[in-house]
Amino acid sequence: MKIVSCFSALRELEPLARAGADEFYTAAEGLLPFSSGTLPPEHLPRAVKEAHRLGRRISIAVNTLLATATVRQLAAIERRVLALDALGADAFIFGNPYLLAKFSGRLKAQLHLSSLQPVFNSLSAAFFARFGVSRIILPNQLAPAEAARLLAFCRRRGIETEIFDYRFFGCAYVNGRCQLHRPGHYTLREEMSEGMLCRINARPGGLVRALRPDEPARARELPRLAARLERRFTCGGAPRLSNAAAFFDFYSAGVQYLKYGIRQDAPEVKVRKVGELRRMIALAARLAAGRSRAAARRAFAAEMSGWNGGGF
Amino acid sequence: MPVERGIRLGARTLADLKKAGALEAALSDFDRFYIGTEFCENLLDRALCSEAARLLRLGRKVCLLTPPLSEKGLRLLDAVFAGLPRPARGAAPDSLEITVNDFGAVELARRRRLPFRLNAGRLLRDNVFDNTGKPLKVHNGEALAFWRGLGISRFELSTIGALPELNFSDGKRYGFSKDDFRITLYYPYLDLTSARACPLGMPDVKPGEAPRGVACARECRVAAFELAHPLIKEKLLVRGNTVFLEFPGKFYSSEKDLEKMNVDRLVYEPWP
Repeated sequence: MKIVSCFSALRELEPLARAGADEFYTAAEGLLPFSSGTLPPEHLPRAVKEAHRLGRRISIAVNTLLATATVRQLAAIERRVLALDALGADAFIFGNPYLLAKFSGRLKAQLHLSSLQPVFNSLSAAFFARFGVSRIILPNQLAPAEAARLLAFCRRRGIETEIFDYRFFGCAYVNGRCQLHRPGHYTLREEMSEGMLCRINARPGGLVRALRPDEPARARELPRLAARLERRFTCGGAPRLSNAAAFFDFYSAGVQYLKYGIRQDAPEVKVRKVGELRRMIALAARLAAGRSRAAARRAFAAEMSGWNGGGF
Repeated sequence: MPVERGIRLGARTLADLKKAGALEAALSDFDRFYIGTEFCENLLDRALCSEAARLLRLGRKVCLLTPPLSEKGLRLLDAVFAGLPRPARGAAPDSLEITVNDFGAVELARRRRLPFRLNAGRLLRDNVFDNTGKPLKVHNGEALAFWRGLGISRFELSTIGALPELNFSDGKRYGFSKDDFRITLYYPYLDLTSARACPLGMPDVKPGEAPRGVACARECRVAAFELAHPLIKEKLLVRGNTVFLEFPGKFYSSEKDLEKMNVDRLVYEPWP
């Protein structure tokens, strides 16, 4: 399993490569990026050269779904993508399908499908395979057992697969289908920082109230359900499909890439996190050797349960 | 542009409406019934086929709502697709439509050669529109052309409680015409966000285990819950895996406003 690391400054590339990044990806303003932490656009050509000097592949994320652009703006984006392709960018990551269709069959670079366009099943993978996608970045809300057929389809078609490190990315909601961070829809009591809306940092107590039951015969379940919701919306956290055991299952199933993608992290944090990814892959490899899959998975999950958060 | 009126029953049935004493009113007030599930595959059920058939017999139009799908959901949906009543000779081409919220459903419908019109559901809205706040913008003509290539020109959105600022009259700059698409607008609830791992129904995951999927006992059918988020003034509503906002106020003054938005179909949601 190889590591794909984000970066948002040229000076980050060499330390990240030393820490164990096998591939890089970035995004730039004006090229329809998702989220902040972008590389200055004028640095993109140098980033391609520098990544190649380090012997690494580089992808460019043009991956926001909210890809609104006038005809003129879209033409400018097209010119820039084609120029970066000519410079040797190895892949472009697209989320919105119209962009995927626009560049399908026109680039030397590979086309990767962003997790912002979540693929949960093999027919969805087949749909996007038609556009020449060579890698699917899987959403974190997919259990390995659910992904078996999808992974088999990708193997048959030579499509690579990639997952996120569950420790550094684990939103409870489906990425690419979420409007929670759009304050135009509601009134904030105070300034919001990233993540505060999905993980309510409060003690349970009085936040959740059941409305009139729709199925009176099940009304006795309401107190338990209200308590469960409250615990999960606050510090208890939502149930997760992505955890240590899930990582091990994806690893064993042959998923080829592990992604670390928090571009907003400070450079030194990025380097340390890539080191954590490297150590986790090494642990999975060590435990998988000479053990049954079930035993190795148990041992892996037990070891990772002792992971202390890395001080991040 | 006449506005068609629909009602979203979701996973509830005509029998449920009858029990609640609301069947007659629903049949007289609404032309189209939205049945099925937009947000969770665990509510997919083959009984939707007989429900659709019953509604068609009553002279009502139907839209089957479909959710994001895992392989399990694909199997369930395939069974539903197989059992849907085929259009009778001379029936209106839109008497039964299917709303998709997963590209796997588009692919399945294509492979099964379904004779029904497809719509893009609310969870796919960001693929076509930017409605991050007050503005509602079509990305551009190429985005609409992509969907047209799939046979889809109707897009479903939720009210945001007010008329949004539009780029529809500026279509030339964005390379589209207002005639290229139609909008179905749901009210009074906006689906703000949605999970797969259901915060209401999914059991806790044992330490050291990977869940095999999203199991539940359909707890979402028991009730909706009100959530007082400490950072948000408005109350949020939670139904199963989805968080909603309610906009009870009237969001348009006349059907002319809806026409500006390209809305020719309104769907009333009696519950989130």
